[in-house]
Amino acid sequence: MSNRHKILIANRGEIAMRIMCACRELGHDFVCLYTPEDKYSGHVELARELGGEQSVYKISNYLDANEIFSVADQANATAIHPGYGFFAEDFRFARRVVRRDRPMIFIGPSWWIIRDLGDKINTKRIARSLGVPTIPGSDRPIYDEMEAESIATHLFEFQRAQDIRGGMVLVKASAGGGGMGIEEVQDPDQFRSVFRRVRNYAKRNFNDEGVLIEQRIFDFNHLEVQIVSEHGGKRHVHFGTRNCSVQSTGKQKRIEVAPGFAPAEVPYAFDADRVLDEITRHSLAMAEEVGYDNVGTWEWIVTPRGEPFLMEVNTRIQVENGISAAISRVGEQEHVDLVREQIRLGLGDTLGYDQSDVRFSGISIEYRLVAEAPERDFAPCSGRILRFQWQEAPWLKMYTQVPKNGAYEIPMEYDPNLALVIIWGENLQQARERGVAFLDSLILEGEASGHGFSSNVAFLKARTQGLLEF
Amino acid sequence: MDREKRLLALRNRLAYVEDVFGPDGNDSIRVLKARAAEFLERLPHFPQADVEREFRRIEELLDFSEKKLEKELTPMDRVRIVRHPQRICLKDILENVYDNYSEIGGQGEYNIDPSVLIARAIISRRVGRRVVNQPVLVIGHEKGHGEEFRNGGSAKPWGNAKALHYMKVAETENIPIHTYVFTPGSYPVEDYPGAAQQIARNLYEMSALRVPVVAVFSEGGSGGAEAVALADRRIMLSHGYYSVISPEGAAAIEGRLRNGQRADSALVERCARQLAITAQDNVANGYVDRVVQEPPLGARPDHFEFFKTLRREILQATNEVVSSVKSMKLFRAMALSSRTHRKAALDPESIYVRWDLSNAARDRLLCKRYQRFRDMSHHAYRDNRTFMDKIRSGLEPLCWSLHSFVSYGLARGMRKRVRDLAEEVSAEAFLISERVVRPARKALSRFSGPDQPRAELGKRAKEALTRLSCPEEGACINGDSWVWMSGRAREDRAVSCPNARTHGCPDLWAPDLFSEFAGVCPCCGHHFSMEYEWYFYNVFNYAEAQEFNADIESGNPLEYEGFDAKIEQARKRTGRKSSCVTFETSLDGVQVVVASLIAPFRGGTVGAAEGEKFILAAERAQKKHYPFIAYVHGTAGIRIQEGVNGVIQMPRCTLAVRRYIDAGGLYLVIYDTNSYAGPVASFLGCSPYQFAIRSSNIGFAGPGVISETTGMPVPPNYHKAYQALSRGHVHGIWDRREIRKNLYQVLLTVGGRNLYYR
Repeated sequence: MSNRHKILIANRGEIAMRIMCACRELGHDFVCLYTPEDKYSGHVELARELGGEQSVYKISNYLDANEIFSVADQANATAIHPGYGFFAEDFRFARRVVRRDRPMIFIGPSWWIIRDLGDKINTKRIARSLGVPTIPGSDRPIYDEMEAESIATHLFEFQRAQDIRGGMVLVKASAGGGGMGIEEVQDPDQFRSVFRRVRNYAKRNFNDEGVLIEQRIFDFNHLEVQIVSEHGGKRHVHFGTRNCSVQSTGKQKRIEVAPGFAPAEVPYAFDADRVLDEITRHSLAMAEEVGYDNVGTWEWIVTPRGEPFLMEVNTRIQVENGISAAISRVGEQEHVDLVREQIRLGLGDTLGYDQSDVRFSGISIEYRLVAEAPERDFAPCSGRILRFQWQEAPWLKMYTQVPKNGAYEIPMEYDPNLALVIIWGENLQQARERGVAFLDSLILEGEASGHGFSSNVAFLKARTQGLLEF
Repeated sequence: MDREKRLLALRNRLAYVEDVFGPDGNDSIRVLKARAAEFLERLPHFPQADVEREFRRIEELLDFSEKKLEKELTPMDRVRIVRHPQRICLKDILENVYDNYSEIGGQGEYNIDPSVLIARAIISRRVGRRVVNQPVLVIGHEKGHGEEFRNGGSAKPWGNAKALHYMKVAETENIPIHTYVFTPGSYPVEDYPGAAQQIARNLYEMSALRVPVVAVFSEGGSGGAEAVALADRRIMLSHGYYSVISPEGAAAIEGRLRNGQRADSALVERCARQLAITAQDNVANGYVDRVVQEPPLGARPDHFEFFKTLRREILQATNEVVSSVKSMKLFRAMALSSRTHRKAALDPESIYVRWDLSNAARDRLLCKRYQRFRDMSHHAYRDNRTFMDKIRSGLEPLCWSLHSFVSYGLARGMRKRVRDLAEEVSAEAFLISERVVRPARKALSRFSGPDQPRAELGKRAKEALTRLSCPEEGACINGDSWVWMSGRAREDRAVSCPNARTHGCPDLWAPDLFSEFAGVCPCCGHHFSMEYEWYFYNVFNYAEAQEFNADIESGNPLEYEGFDAKIEQARKRTGRKSSCVTFETSLDGVQVVVASLIAPFRGGTVGAAEGEKFILAAERAQKKHYPFIAYVHGTAGIRIQEGVNGVIQMPRCTLAVRRYIDAGGLYLVIYDTNSYAGPVASFLGCSPYQFAIRSSNIGFAGPGVISETTGMPVPPNYHKAYQALSRGHVHGIWDRREIRKNLYQVLLTVGGRNLYYR
């Protein structure tokens, strides 16, 4: 049977489990990988249950491409699903998958799209060329001091003209990442010295003197648009927006809500419907223009004045895909699964519906249950889970790699994520109430050395009240 | 008593013959030995009257056999003669050739390098009724008849530095220099300043040393010899040798021996013969001017007649050099030159030429020195340029010179003056506008209020901040942008980084590594070696370059056995005719001349053809006022199969480069992969701007040679570019992905005053 594929899952935990289930539903085989630390993880258990012992392979590291390819050859896999994290946004990996002597299918966008949209500066340039709004400032690395100064002067002038008090300019190393080499300037007279400092820092650390200069934006909301595109890049639909503004100190998302704003229940200082409409429209147009060909997320920031700016594009399935699915209905289908859609489209199937078939209803909240201590700067906590129980409900979906019975050792090598909780309500009020009810009924006990076991349940509960308020 | 002395002398001569020809010797030695043994046995029993007769007989026999053996000497025998502890050494020469001397720069063991000896010497002679004393500086290697601390005349880098220092002293004092080469080769250590760097410095300075230099060769081993032998006259002792490498070394390379295995003597003998190392060969090739005849089986300290000859030859040579550049000479020059043609009775001792030079004469001296070396070794390469090409290459330099003179000399001066004036005027104007116009405008605006509404201002700023900047203003990612891609980028395989153990680098996929990463490990920055085409196309813009002199071909000047086939093979493999590729190209709008040594052709070794091409490129750059870039993709040294034809390229190219630099050019050297030996120790190592690409190796001798000669283990990373950087040999280490950027930066910022774009 030619269209029965064997998909190698180059990932772990909750997403691996969801990919396996989707494979089963679509009638494909799968290969599951695990490292010695993940021996007791739920995804290995599920793989044994669904695919038997021959579908499980042990490797030393999820990031060793050579080992993954040797397993793929051994198991005769025909496609690779990278999940999220690890190799999901590595265009070299994607390119290698399709360019090997024994090519496979990479379930995700084409490698050149990952490459072009994976680079923030390039994304900004593409966006500007299409008239998509981006953060005011430079759209390429600046090497020349005079040029940098003229941009900064313009920025200060611009903010003054807009009556933004305490306007600031961000100077950041274009080759940097993860917050390294970023400085703020408030006083135009200090700009030159800060610019030189950042440039020297960049030269020393990244061996590239290029510097970006942008407006510093305060108190913004973080919104996303879920795009699903057909293989070949011809047809595109969106699955609504999400709001991911509740984050830990390390800018890790903790609560996500779909859709992005709820103007029916919460008052906003700007026209929220217009903003949502604008960002979906721009995202779709850009996907159309670059020929995007799988699932992806357009990330936006919205200022308190209601101006959206495109920040970056995530060329992969995201953790929070479940809430977009929960508020969407496609045609007669009761249940949408974006992971399943991704695999289906990645293997070359057609979309089969268009935007008018996608309908939205209700509000969905996702909690990320993490073994961490919010009061200690979200320090991760490692130890054992002793009890993990909750009340099942029709409006609730749990994705977890913690085995249902018995203890679970949180691996120290990976993020201490425990579960994704997806709650659906008809409106924001109901969704919040259900969320609080769920968190109250949750039984989570564990033991850990040092500061003892802790989780972010209290943090999630406290932040549920102000959801979607700007 | 007399009898005892004669007996001792006899025994010494016998032992010497035995030493030179080895214990198994040939027939005549066996006969001689038997006769001598018989004589010694019977000596006490001779009647007193016969003793004298018998002595004379045996001495005559010895004389006869020595002369006979002399006629049959093989090149390897000469090597053994030269290396014999009884061979004359520099001290003997100082005692016997010069009339007075004092050693400077150390004494015996208490010396920065006892293997290099420096002395101020006096030559006194009677001219008419006057006695004139002419001072000279004597520099040479001292073997000290086998004294341990002399290191066999193998100079350490600091010994060569000492020699250079006193050469400069001689230049200040305006006295001629006599150098004596008694070295098997330089001592291959890389401690500061490093053998290669120091020899390169010596050559560089000697190529513009403004006093006459006369060199005498007895044992001339490659780079060590060149460090003191770039001279206006080169004299060779008849039993000496002058070679690119010791015959044993050549045999080890020829027989592919490793780890100190000894080559068998037949192979050594064959190599010695093929390398054309004897005095006669070198005179025939034109690398040495005269041969000084030694007594049979080589000069030893008691051959006083020989020292007289040597003194005559040295005087003669110095006189010739000086009088060839002096303006006031007339009859003396005639007398000197006539003597060189027929054996006239006129003794050079009686012709007095003052040895100090005027400034004009010094300039002429340098010109002559350059021309002398320029004219050498033209027979050693194959010039396959067509007749028209040759004519063109003769005429073109004239056109370039004329063009440069007109456009950079005449017109440029004018243009520059106008530009300077314009700059001054505009600076003045700026000051006036700051002081006068601006306050006036400010005052005006106070009356009329702000000239533009703020919203308008904000809109303009917003426009500037959110529009797409022009693509030519900056680069954005454009994927696989390398023009030339390595064949290895098409193989589906993983490559392990050699630093994986220490840096934990993940394995790399060959197509990524050799295309997009440019052969650089993204984790630790290790540079895998890349093909020379990669640099040609991606750095030097080879697609638009104009290659020249491609038809000067490497040949086999010494008819070295089996070498023709090897050259042919190298040609087939690379499609090039020598390991030096010279072309003219434009780097981001700057015209440059590039000469590169490419490793796939015989390891990038330098022979006569490569040297000639290099010199032609330097001359072209000089005439056109272009920067001159030497890109060394890899070089294993001088091509040993060409013998002295190769070694002579060291001074030749250095002279050309020196001339180019002195003319105000920019000479830039970039090393890649492995660069060793001769070229690094001469025309490459003398550049004031040398850069290495990361993970490259630079040194004087490979690790195997070092451990064999010095007997010490080679420290790890001994030849790494970073070591060369820390001892000041190279002046920067470049990342391969940024060569082009750095190169442009360097072209704009460093180098001479006479570049066309300055």
